[in-house]
Amino acid sequence: MLRLTRVWLLWRRPPAAGVPAKNLGLRKVASGVSPPGSASPRALNIFDRDLKRKQKNWAARQPEPRKFDYLKEEVGSRIADRVYDIARDFPLALDLGCGRGYIAQHLNKETVGKFFQADIAENALKNTLETEIPTVSVLADEEFLPFRENTFDLVVSSLSLHWVNDLPRALEQIHYVLKPDGVFLGAMFGGDTLYELRCSLQLAETEREGGFSPHVSPFTAVNDLGHLLGRAGFNTLTVDTDEIQVNYPGMFELMEDLQGMGESNCAWNRKALLHRNTMLAAAAVYGEMYRNEDGSVPATYQIYYMIGWKYHDSQARPAERGSATVSFGELGKINSLMSQEKKSQ
Amino acid sequence: MSGNAAVWGRVRSRLRAFPERLSACGAEVRSTGRGSACEAAAYGRCVQASTAPGGRLRKDLCAQEFEALRSCFLAAAKKTQKGGH
Repeated sequence: MLRLTRVWLLWRRPPAAGVPAKNLGLRKVASGVSPPGSASPRALNIFDRDLKRKQKNWAARQPEPRKFDYLKEEVGSRIADRVYDIARDFPLALDLGCGRGYIAQHLNKETVGKFFQADIAENALKNTLETEIPTVSVLADEEFLPFRENTFDLVVSSLSLHWVNDLPRALEQIHYVLKPDGVFLGAMFGGDTLYELRCSLQLAETEREGGFSPHVSPFTAVNDLGHLLGRAGFNTLTVDTDEIQVNYPGMFELMEDLQGMGESNCAWNRKALLHRNTMLAAAAVYGEMYRNEDGSVPATYQIYYMIGWKYHDSQARPAERGSATVSFGELGKINSLMSQEKKSQ
Repeated sequence: MSGNAAVWGRVRSRLRAFPERLSACGAEVRSTGRGSACEAAAYGRCVQASTAPGGRLRKDLCAQEFEALRSCFLAAAKKTQKGGH
């Protein structure tokens, strides 16, 4: 914990790292290059990205990939709803960590002109779901986007940023490839996700083996998410949370589904082996502590939906100080004030 | 997931049989012919009790309940092996 707070402090030292002029000059050299002095302190390496690619490839090559898609389909459709809520059309859009393209299937040609789907797993891109929008599949890592500055009107990302090592950098890259007045819509797993599984495994491992190692990956806290988006340069941020609870017959089915979704653990500090006794013990603890009425066990997925805009002059800004024409004390008379204004107009 | 698909398939099929055998040891008290078949529930309650304030979870705190669960589980495994495949 101490190490992590030190990393954040070091990163804050360069004066106002979001200074636009300085960044623009450096960014013209190569796309995606971050300004010097901020690369090393925040280069966290928690996840083995190579292994994650292998896991996602394996998951996409299963005989029945649709069996495990329910969560990603649900979140993809909710993100598509939010895209429709924005009263705008997007000629060019990017889906980061698209999987099999869960968002594109819900959108139509009028809203999104052309869709770029980027993922690190090529097997997922080969089996994309049907959509009426013309799409281009790109094999790209979320942290190293191969696009030029000011390219996209819309960037969406559904449930893939929680495997990214350097989340600040990924968000900065997203900000970089967005056009001014472009919007980023993301969904990420939150801190309460799979807390039942985490607790059961922790208790069972402590009782059976005398200690425990992390089996569920660390998630971003909602406050940090707001800070990260602000630091990346987004404004008019909104973050809201949603909880989806899925019932499973038992812990083993839950673990099998998680593997089928391509969400197996790939942290460097993972334990290579989970003993059968520990698994048995954890399943018993899970069933006893969290069981529903009908004998099934719940698993909670907490999703954070975030939306951020890239700055543009046309966006609403707070008014200048001292430009108020009416005092707050006259709030009670607001009806008469407004009718006066209408008469004068 | 490793190179040898046959080994992985075999191990996975063994693992897939776990839920059925675990249910034989009962997550809740069911009205079976014999006595209470809820070793899993007993083990779960023991571990849960140690999470209450004042309790401390150590290694092998619930070893007895776990041994009961494990022997019930192995008995269920033998039964399914004899009866079915």
